Amino acid sequence: MTAFQSTLGDEAGIAEELAENQRAISIAEFFEKNKHMLGFDSGARGLVTAVKEAVDNALDAAEESGILPDIYVEIEESGDYYKLIVEDNGPGLTKESLPKVFGKLLYGSRFHKREQSRGQQGIGISAAVLYSQLTSGKPAKITSRTQGSSEAQYFELIIDTDENEPEISVDRTTTWDRPHGTRIELEMEGNMRARQQLHDYIKHTAVVNPHARLELREPQAHFKFERATDQLPEETEEIRPHPHGVELGTVIKMLNATDSHSVSGFLQEEFTRVGKKTADSVIDEFRDRHYGREMSWTPPGPHESADVAAAVTDATVNKGATATEAFATAIADAVADSDRVAHHELLAIVDSSADAAEDEHGTTFGETVRENAAEAAWAELAGIAGEEESTDETDADADADPDDHSRLVTDLYELADGATSTRKDDEVVHAFAVRLAGKFEDSEDTRHRLTHKTLVEFVDRAAELTEEYDDVAFGDTARENVVDAIWSVMVTVPDDPPLVRELSGDRDATSELVDGMRATDIMAPPTRCLSPISDELIEAGLKKEFDADFYAAATRDADVSGGDPFIVEAGIAYGGDLEAEGSANVMRFANRVPLVYQRGACATTDVVKSIGWRNYGLDQPGGSGVPNGPVVIMIHIASTNVPFTSESKDAVANVPEIEDEIELAIREAARDLKSYLNKRRSMQKRRKKQNVLGKILPEMATKVAEVTGRNEPEIDDAIARIMNNVLVERRLEENGDGQSVEVVVENHSGTTESLAVTDIVTAEPSNLSDGATVVEMDGEWFVKWNADVSSGDEAVLTYEVSTDAAFDIDVDGVEAEKLTVTDTDTGTNQ
Amino acid sequence: MSADNEQQAREQLIDLAAQFYDQFELGEIPHMDVPTRTKSNIEYDEDLDVWVYGDRTSTRSANSVRGARKLLKAVYTIEFLADQLDQDRSSTLRELYYLSESWDNENAQFNDQDESNQLVEDLEIVSGATREDFHMRPEESGATIMGPLFLREQTRRGEREIHCQEDVGEGGYQIPNNPDTIEFLDSDAEFILCVETGGMRDRLVENGFDEEYGALIVHLKGQPARATRRITKRLHDELEIPVTVFADGDPWSYRIYASVAYGSIKSAHLSEYLATPQAQYIGIQPADIVEYDLPTDPLSDSDINALESELEDPRFQTDYWEEQIELQLDIGKKAEQQALASRGLDFVTDTYLPERLEAMGVF
Repeated sequence: MTAFQSTLGDEAGIAEELAENQRAISIAEFFEKNKHMLGFDSGARGLVTAVKEAVDNALDAAEESGILPDIYVEIEESGDYYKLIVEDNGPGLTKESLPKVFGKLLYGSRFHKREQSRGQQGIGISAAVLYSQLTSGKPAKITSRTQGSSEAQYFELIIDTDENEPEISVDRTTTWDRPHGTRIELEMEGNMRARQQLHDYIKHTAVVNPHARLELREPQAHFKFERATDQLPEETEEIRPHPHGVELGTVIKMLNATDSHSVSGFLQEEFTRVGKKTADSVIDEFRDRHYGREMSWTPPGPHESADVAAAVTDATVNKGATATEAFATAIADAVADSDRVAHHELLAIVDSSADAAEDEHGTTFGETVRENAAEAAWAELAGIAGEEESTDETDADADADPDDHSRLVTDLYELADGATSTRKDDEVVHAFAVRLAGKFEDSEDTRHRLTHKTLVEFVDRAAELTEEYDDVAFGDTARENVVDAIWSVMVTVPDDPPLVRELSGDRDATSELVDGMRATDIMAPPTRCLSPISDELIEAGLKKEFDADFYAAATRDADVSGGDPFIVEAGIAYGGDLEAEGSANVMRFANRVPLVYQRGACATTDVVKSIGWRNYGLDQPGGSGVPNGPVVIMIHIASTNVPFTSESKDAVANVPEIEDEIELAIREAARDLKSYLNKRRSMQKRRKKQNVLGKILPEMATKVAEVTGRNEPEIDDAIARIMNNVLVERRLEENGDGQSVEVVVENHSGTTESLAVTDIVTAEPSNLSDGATVVEMDGEWFVKWNADVSSGDEAVLTYEVSTDAAFDIDVDGVEAEKLTVTDTDTGTNQ
Repeated sequence: MSADNEQQAREQLIDLAAQFYDQFELGEIPHMDVPTRTKSNIEYDEDLDVWVYGDRTSTRSANSVRGARKLLKAVYTIEFLADQLDQDRSSTLRELYYLSESWDNENAQFNDQDESNQLVEDLEIVSGATREDFHMRPEESGATIMGPLFLREQTRRGEREIHCQEDVGEGGYQIPNNPDTIEFLDSDAEFILCVETGGMRDRLVENGFDEEYGALIVHLKGQPARATRRITKRLHDELEIPVTVFADGDPWSYRIYASVAYGSIKSAHLSEYLATPQAQYIGIQPADIVEYDLPTDPLSDSDINALESELEDPRFQTDYWEEQIELQLDIGKKAEQQALASRGLDFVTDTYLPERLEAMGVF
C-alpha cells in the first residue's frame, strides 16, 4: 500500500490529468448507459416497456381532459426492427410542448405534484423515444391534432443526447382521421419473446381501466377490449405535500422556491394540513432544536441568602433611591410570584418593571440599566456568584452561603430525586445534583440555554462522574428520566425563527425544521388527490376480462405512509374458465398501471404469500405461498407517491403501512370468496345427497309397492322435503272442453324463496290467477308468475287452457340444486 | 309358537312396509321410530317387574343418505322375512347377512353383521313380534339343562319326549332355539341353578348335585342366549320353583345375572318374555371372597370401569348390589367360580352352595 502511494506521489499531475477527462454527462447519455434502470434492459423487455410508457401517457392525457380513452397499439415487424404505434384520443399536443414531452427526460407536469397519476417522473415516454433512437437510429414520428383544429401536425423528432434537448427535424401538416389525439410511431430493436407480458399488460390495463377502450394489434394477435363503463375515474385534486412526508432535500428546494418570508408563512403556504396553530407548534419544535431551551430556576425563598431585590438595587446606579427601590421590588416580587424563571422570562420581568418604574417615577431606565439589573438578578437566581462580574457584595453573599452551589443543587436535586427510583440513595442523588449544577455553572451560556443534546451530555457527564466517584450505578433509564424531567421544566425561547431566506442557505437549520415537522402531530393528508377504481368497477373489470364463477372486491379507506395518502384495493375472481392447474394469477397495479415484471420482489406478492389461504377455502401447499387453483387475485395501490423499488416501477417496496392495508384489502375480498366456496361446497354435498337419494328412494318405493302389493307411491314431495327443496309441480284436470292447470310451489327449505316461473304454453291460456301475466310470442304463450313463498308454505298458479296444449315450465330465482320441478301429467294420480 | 303368531308377525311386517308407503304418498319423509337402546333409556316397569325401554326414541329417517339406506335395507329385509314365513323356512342371523349379498340392489346390502342384527332388533321392536316369530335364529345356542325334568319338544321331525336326566348324556338336554316349542310334562325339581361356566357345570354334574338337591342345572355359557333366558323364565313361571344364578365374582358376571333377572339393554323390549325378576344371585359375591379367603386376581382398569358403570346402571340400583360393588372396589379383587377348588373339589357342592342356598332361603 505504502509502495503504491509513493508511486502515485511520484507521478506529479495525475490528478490534473484525470480531471481533464472528467466532464458533465447529460441525462440522455446517462440513460444510454443505464437502460436497465428504466426497464429497457433487453430487446424483449424494451418493447413492452415502450408500449407501457406510451399507453400510460395516452391514458393520462385523455383522462386529464375528461375524455374516455380510446387507445390503439400496433406492433409491426419492419425489417430487423419493430415498429410501435400508439394512438390516443387525447387533447393533442401543441408544437411547443410536444418536443419537450416526448423528447426531454425529466420533463413532466407530475413530478412535483401530490396527485395520483400514472407517470410520475417524466422519464417514461421520452426514455422510449430515446431507446428507439439509440437502437434504430430513426427519429420518433409524431402526429398530433388538437381539438377543433382542421389539420393534424406531423413531426419527426430526435434527441440530442449530449444536451438532453429535443430537435424537430420535420414539421408539416398532414391529415388524420382522429378529430383529436396523438399518434407516436417508434422504430426500435426488439423481439416478441415477451409477448405474454405484453398481452398481460394490455389485458390487465383493461381490467383496471374499465372506462378505457383498448386495442392491440401485433404480428400474431389482435385484441379489442371494450369499455365496461362510461364513467371516467373521479378527477383528482393536487394536494400540497404533507409535513410528515417530505425529505430534507425537498424542503431545501421548496425553501428556495417559495414566495413566503417567514417560516410560519412558508409552512402554511407550501404544506397541506398546516394552519397557524400547527405552524406555531412546528416552529416551537424548531426553536427547541435550533436554539435550545432555557433552564428555568425556582425563585429564591425567604430562607435563602440569594436576594434579587438587593442585587438589583446594587446594580442600579443614579436612579434615585425611591425609583430604584420600586424597580428592584417589582422585579423581586414578579420573580417570587413565578414557579420557575428562565433567563428570557427574567428579561421580560425586568423590562415590564422598568417600564412601570419609568411611568411612576419619571426616571428613564435605559438599556444598560436594564441589562445590569437583569444580569444581577439572574446571577442571584442562577447562583452565578463572583467570577469576572463579582463585586464585593456578591463575594460577601458567597461567603455567607454555607454551601457553595446550594441554589442550583437544591433545584436539580428535587428534579433528579423525583425522576429516579426511590431506591437511589439521597447522598448519591445529591452528589449527582452537585455535579450537574457544576455543569450548568461552567456552561459558557450564562443564560443556561441548551439544546436537548447538550442537556443529555450534561446529565451523562454528571452521571458518569457519580458512578466513578461514588461507585454506584446510574443507568440509562435513570439518565433518561432525569433528562426528561429537566427538559420539561426548560422553556422554549421566544427568539424569532430565521427568515426563509436565511434558512434556505442553512442546511443544518433546515434539517432541524424537518425534524420539528416530523415531531409535531399533524392531521393526515386529505384523500381527494386519490382516485381509487372502486370495488364495483374492479368487479366489473374482472368480469369483463375473466370468465369466472365468482367475483369479489374490496376498497379500503385511505391511509397515510410517509406523508403520502394511499388507498389499497383488492379483487378476487374464482372458478369458471380460469386455469385450475397451478398457482393463482396475481395481478398487481399501482395507480392503475399493471406491474408486469419483478413479481417476486413486490410487497403485494409477499403479502399474498403470507396469508393463510386454507382459511379461505383455497389450496395452499405447505400452508404458505401463492395459493393454487382457478383464482385471480388483483391488488391496486393508489397513492400520490407509490414507493417503487426502482425507477423502472416494477415492484412496490415493502412499506409496513402499505403491506398492512394490502393484507386487509385481500382478506376482505377473500372473506366473500370463503362464504361463496362454503356455499358451493354445501351445494355440492346437496347435489351428491340428491343423487344418492334420487336412486335409493325410488328403489325403496318400488320395494314397498312390491311388498304391499300396491301401485308405486308418489315420492317427489318426500324427496323435496328431504332435500329442503322447493318443489314446483303441475297438476292438470279435465274441465269441460279444456283443462285446468295448477302450478303448485311448495317451499320445503328453511328460508323464504322468490321464484320467477315461466310456463310456455302452446295454446292461449285463460282465467289466470292473480299476479300472473301472459305474453304471446310466435304462437306460444308465456305465462309469467313471480311468487314469494315463505318456508313451509305453498303458492298456486292456476289457469285454463285447451286440452291439446303442451307445456314447458322454467323456474328462476332458486338454485338448481334446491329445485325439484315435476312437469308431468299427474292427473291419473288424483 | 303357533302358526297364528307367525301369521301375525308377517302381517305386522307388511304393515310396516305399508306405513312407509303411506308416508311417501302423504309427501312425508319415510321414517320409523324405535326406542333408544341405551342404558340411560331403560326404566323399571312396576307392573311387569322388569326393565323396559323408556320414552326416548331414535328415528330412522330417509332424511340422510345413511338413514335412507337403512330404510331401504329394512324394506328388503321385510320382504325376505315375509317370504320366509310364507314358505315356513327359517334362517340364522348370519345367513341373513350373507343373503343380502344376493339382493339385486347394492344399496340394500349389509356392511356387517352388526348392522343386520340391529335391523332385526329394530323390526322386532317396531312390529311387536320376536325374531323367533320371524323364524330367525342365532348361530348357536348350545346351552343345556340337566336335572329332574320331563318335557316334550315339538321338533321338525316330530314330537320327542325327553327326561333331562335319564334320556340325556353327560352333556345334558340341548335347549332349542325356540323354547316355546317345549311343553313341560313333569318335574321333581326344587330349584333352578343357572351356572355361568362349563367347568363349574361339569363339576356339579360330576358331583351329582342335581340328583342330591333336586336342582335343574342350566348352563348359561357366558352371557345367556335368548332361548336360555326364555326357558329359565318359563321354568320359573310354570314349575313355580326359585331361580338362582351362580357366576364368577367379577363385574361381567354381575351383568350375566342382570340379564337373567332384569333383562338386557339390547332386548329390553322382550324383557316381559325373557327376564326372571325373582332370580337370586348366589355368588361368587365379593363378600365370599373375604369370607372364604378365595384365591383372587386384582381388578383390571376395565373391571373397575365396568363396576363404576354398574353403579350407574338402573338395574343395579339396589342396596344389595351397591354394597357388594363398593366392597369389591374397596378390596380391588375378583375371583372365579373355580377358585372354590382351592378348598377341595367337593367344597362347592358340600359346603359353599348348601350354605349359600340356605342363607338365601332356597332350602
